[in-house]
Amino acid sequence: MILSDLLGSDAFDADGRRLGAILDVRLEISGAPAQLLAETVVTGVLVSSHSRFSTWGYERRGEDGPFLIAWLQRWLHRGSFLVAWDDVELVDVGRVVFRAGYEQLDPMLPRAPREA
Amino acid sequence: MNDEHDHDHDHDHEHEHEHDHDHDHDGGAGRRMPRRDPRAPRGRVLDAHLHLLDRQVLDREGVPVTTVDDLELDGIEPGARIEPGSPPPTLTAILTGPQLLTRLFGGHAPAARRIAIPWKLVSAVGTTVRLGVDADSLDASWVERWVSRHLIGRIPGGRHDPE
Repeated sequence: MILSDLLGSDAFDADGRRLGAILDVRLEISGAPAQLLAETVVTGVLVSSHSRFSTWGYERRGEDGPFLIAWLQRWLHRGSFLVAWDDVELVDVGRVVFRAGYEQLDPMLPRAPREA
Repeated sequence: MNDEHDHDHDHDHEHEHEHDHDHDHDGGAGRRMPRRDPRAPRGRVLDAHLHLLDRQVLDREGVPVTTVDDLELDGIEPGARIEPGSPPPTLTAILTGPQLLTRLFGGHAPAARRIAIPWKLVSAVGTTVRLGVDADSLDASWVERWVSRHLIGRIPGGRHDPE
């Protein structure tokens, strides 16, 4: 499967209620050691209930400038959340279904180290 | 007075927390303040769209190769139920070529037209994606190699650096 098949898909809970759209896929470079980097695994999906457009990361990093853009982005993506991959039950074309009792997690990213 | 007020506020907050905890087991729907991800990250955390898509890919020497137009994820079977506890999908390749147009306008490029750079060749991810190999060894740069050999190379002086 390619990433763009997942992005923008509708997210549903186990009862078939639409929760929003898949905005991004969270990855972690933490799998089995490989030649150069460790294996990169999918750890979750980000869901936004208000917009399916990209967010430039404002709601995920605690950035606050330029103020107007930050404010607009936060408002567009109010109520966005992260769902761990373990809580994903099914991925189909344009549709992602979460398990019953899935948990909505804070989408905030840990602060990335600045590149030297 | 002020202190007392603060104290009250803290107290309320604690209660809110307890309340949150009580509801931990009955699913996430309807929750107002999402909880922090309880799993501590075991490695660098990236958001695929935010940190990878449209980033420039540089080779071992810092020569631009291409941009990340799409990514290939292995281990997702469309339409099949994911068994609890099954291993998570992995990122297997950076896709380039006609991927950008189909990503923007929809549809799929035929798999044969996709140019993939295996993710295992990536050595670092920052503002750009760095590879641990030379661009010349990749399929992704064949167009550039062809143009330089067949077109630029035939122009007088086209086979050496400007003097």
